[in-house]
Amino acid sequence: MNVAGPARSRPSSSSSSDANSKRGHHGHAADGGSSSLVDMYLDVPSFELSLDEFEEYALARLKVLRKIEEMKTRNLPPDLFRSQLDASIKSNLRSNDIVDVASHFILRAAYCRNEDLRRWFLTQECILFRHRLESVSRGGGGSRGGGGNNGGGGHHDELRDFLARNDFDLDRVSAADKERLRDKLLSVPGTNPVEFNVAEYYRVPFVQALELVGRRECYVADGNAYVPLPRVVSIVAAKFRSSLSRSLASAGGIFRQAVSRDERARIGPLLSSMNSQYTGPSGGAGSSAAYGIDGEEGAPTAANVDELASRSMPLCMRQLHRGLQRDHKLKHQGRLQYGLFLKGAGMSLEEHTLFFQREFAKIMTGEQFNKQYAYSIRHMHGKEGKRATYTPGAEHHGCPYRHYDDASLSALLGLLKIGNAVDRDAIMAHKRDGNFQLACSRHFEAVHPGATSLEGVNLDGVGNHPNAWFSASVSYHNAKSGKGGATGGSKNVVKAEGVA
Amino acid sequence: MGAATDAVDDDEREFGAEDDVVPAVKSNNDVDYDDADADARRDAPRSSSSSSSSSATTSVVYSPELLGVYYSRLFPYDLLHSWLSYDPSSINPGNGKVVTPAKASSSSSSSSSSSYSSSSLSSSSTFPRREFSMTIEPTPGSEVYIRYQSFSSREDLAAAVMRRRPTKLDIGAVFNHPPKDNKSLPAGKLQTVERELVFDVDLTDYDEVRNCGCAGADICPKCWTYMGMAMGVMDAGLRRDFGFRHLAWFYSGRRGVHCWVCDESARMLTNEARSAVASYFEVNLGSDKNKGFNLSAPLHPALARAYEILEPRFVDSVLPEDGHGLLATRASWTRLLLTLPKAAHPVASRLEERWGRSPGRDATPREKWRELKSELASFVGGRGGGAKAPKTLSSSDRVRIEMWPVETVFRQTYPRLDINVSKMQNHLLKSPFCVHPKTGRVCVPIDADDFDSFDPFAVPTLASLVRELDEYEARGGGGNDANADGGVVHDWQKTSLRGPFERYRKKVLIPLLNDERRSAREERERRAAVVGDF
Repeated sequence: MNVAGPARSRPSSSSSSDANSKRGHHGHAADGGSSSLVDMYLDVPSFELSLDEFEEYALARLKVLRKIEEMKTRNLPPDLFRSQLDASIKSNLRSNDIVDVASHFILRAAYCRNEDLRRWFLTQECILFRHRLESVSRGGGGSRGGGGNNGGGGHHDELRDFLARNDFDLDRVSAADKERLRDKLLSVPGTNPVEFNVAEYYRVPFVQALELVGRRECYVADGNAYVPLPRVVSIVAAKFRSSLSRSLASAGGIFRQAVSRDERARIGPLLSSMNSQYTGPSGGAGSSAAYGIDGEEGAPTAANVDELASRSMPLCMRQLHRGLQRDHKLKHQGRLQYGLFLKGAGMSLEEHTLFFQREFAKIMTGEQFNKQYAYSIRHMHGKEGKRATYTPGAEHHGCPYRHYDDASLSALLGLLKIGNAVDRDAIMAHKRDGNFQLACSRHFEAVHPGATSLEGVNLDGVGNHPNAWFSASVSYHNAKSGKGGATGGSKNVVKAEGVA
Repeated sequence: MGAATDAVDDDEREFGAEDDVVPAVKSNNDVDYDDADADARRDAPRSSSSSSSSSATTSVVYSPELLGVYYSRLFPYDLLHSWLSYDPSSINPGNGKVVTPAKASSSSSSSSSSSYSSSSLSSSSTFPRREFSMTIEPTPGSEVYIRYQSFSSREDLAAAVMRRRPTKLDIGAVFNHPPKDNKSLPAGKLQTVERELVFDVDLTDYDEVRNCGCAGADICPKCWTYMGMAMGVMDAGLRRDFGFRHLAWFYSGRRGVHCWVCDESARMLTNEARSAVASYFEVNLGSDKNKGFNLSAPLHPALARAYEILEPRFVDSVLPEDGHGLLATRASWTRLLLTLPKAAHPVASRLEERWGRSPGRDATPREKWRELKSELASFVGGRGGGAKAPKTLSSSDRVRIEMWPVETVFRQTYPRLDINVSKMQNHLLKSPFCVHPKTGRVCVPIDADDFDSFDPFAVPTLASLVRELDEYEARGGGGNDANADGGVVHDWQKTSLRGPFERYRKKVLIPLLNDERRSAREERERRAAVVGDF
């Protein structure tokens, strides 16, 4: 598992499975006494784990990371977030340092394979790290294991110990200097005059405190940032993030070569399926993914999107799909709208690119496509530009019910063989009355007979949002065909797959 | 325009946007610069011109022919090259002169281009990996933008510039490979390794506070004062807060200034660090629609210093009638008083009443500003004879009132940076010493210690420079002033470029290269110490 090791340390040999039945723990954290409550994971450990432990530890951490993601999605208030995360850490990574260190590196190896996985892992690990560091600097301690909470007073020592252990070269500001700079330091926003008197300040090169510098949240003089001890957290967190990010990126490229052949046979499958391991129900259904489709089930792919379009898409999206099939291109609005719809329906970036490329390639070269369109697809998935995660908007333009005249709409309904004559008349009646949402819902009812009586089919928002329409349709067809589970729940739920 | 226009600074974008390519003979834009030109004519009485290139009318400040003369005789290739090579050996430590070919021409224009031949074979390691890009006009009206140019030596650069006669020369980053090899390198292989930290301030961003009547690319002495204020704040902040020592300021040729921070530590900054530094200086001043921008109290030390720098200048050049008239007329002070926080309305009506009472012999804008500030202070402080704040004044209202003078000064004068220019190593910025095609003015260095005496309207134009050259040569060299031709090596020393260029060499370039020399020596010694080999 040293594949994911940071550039800083290159252990010559460390195998996680050489002696998979022995339970010797040695090396990095062998002292077992949890002197460190927070770890930068700069040194790749070398100790031996059984294959069972290997998997058990990894899944334990996965639970914590998924818990973090879920809580972030639900936007929990900070103190609830902290207490729930503490509980999760306690029950999963409770026992000792080895679980924590080993599981971090195992997941690092499992999640370095591609950009999506790396980003996910980096995000959750950074939140976890920051949480622990803040606990330590607040004096909470104990977030890695039991103990550690030695009450007031000593917490700054813990943080100091941590900083010293991890090569943070902080220059403590002398009392005289602090007094000399009193006015300056006190006029930094957020400085509490009462706490100032006991606060300890450190001088760091400003490039180590970019976050604070950029927000003018520290005093800067002569190239140095003056930072009170608690705020050192943000500096350390930034350093953690960049070193982990670098390690993941460099490990990503060498994943295949670095895991030796015999190890690959043994731990390869474990690592490569790690991200799709089932770790139990995630708890709250993610609100942001309300219209999402679970796992791969029902999610559109380049291969099945044609079929899904005629089976499960509302008229507006079907029209975009037909336009794309007919002209092998879509204008910007159309690409954005259809793209976000597909993304909301669970289509992955890879499938999305594949599908659009397949269509566009009929009128242009692959190079042209890559140059002009691939970027915007990645952008939609938050991989470019400001990396925002776009969600399909509720209001959309180009509603056929609203914008088509009666004759065109009627012709279209007939062409697409939507419902029977009675259905089509009802839809046309809604359209003429200006009740476009009712028309859209009526379309759904026409092609999903008995939907209201099926369990697990959520009809909320069917006439309002194309993704609601789609999601309801997919769950309808799943329920019909006897596949359970697709209830439009959280994306966090990952299907269980064969565990070796 | 070429393919890669996205990474270019504003001056460049504006070309494309206006779609108004510089005409070969300039006639339409002269009107803006007539005054300045008239000054130039007064200063330098016209003599019959011998040079064919200056035979056009004197109102022509810019033409491809004039540009050709500038590039072949006046452009300071050695100053640019010494700077961008960061090579101490390119400058003679003895007298501080930039090393130049021994027998440079003293008069003949025909020999000047060939005089660059033998030196700087020992080009430093970064210069050949520096990206240049050129905007050229193969035919009048068409414009081509060429990126990823690089040159192995000063001679190479000079030859290319003279051949291409770019209407604009941009400087980019130093890459890991010479950028001209771009095409032959695998995609993604070419990466930036260093770049000066740059800042761009432009008067176009000040339109909403320019009450002088200027807008867009226009400037006048009244709104130019904003540039001096921006430079004062930035220069102090970069030096004192970030500890940078080698700041080079340049006129952008038309309506703004550029700052190049050349310290090694600045050149090595990551994009992330550049963004942080830029954000450190950025204050969201609110927009026309959303006036409410709020500073938090207490004021961060950097902003407190900015206020100390800006407020006196605000009083001198923004408030009065001959500035931007903020407190000069009844209508203007009423408008200003209306921007006070609601809670301070007793102060506003008191002053409105007092100032309106005796038109004609009332207080000066400066006195009004002082009065306004002290009324506000006593209002929240509860002292003095002014209006008293009610006991119920909330602490947030109190802060708003206390901060109002600062917010007012900042809204009017705080530097408005185009921070996108600063954020990326890879962003191109117009090269110093270029000529702005719209004004014909040279992008001359501005002395950091003497911002206020810099007059953009006195900056030499192509036409005035060619005239000066002719006059110098008509006098047969040195002229009346005995000192004037002491040490004339370059043709630019025969013109009014001599002052700013030599000041730049003395105050920016030489200290910079001396520091490079020092740090190179320290690095050698450090390495030697590591291996124990002195």
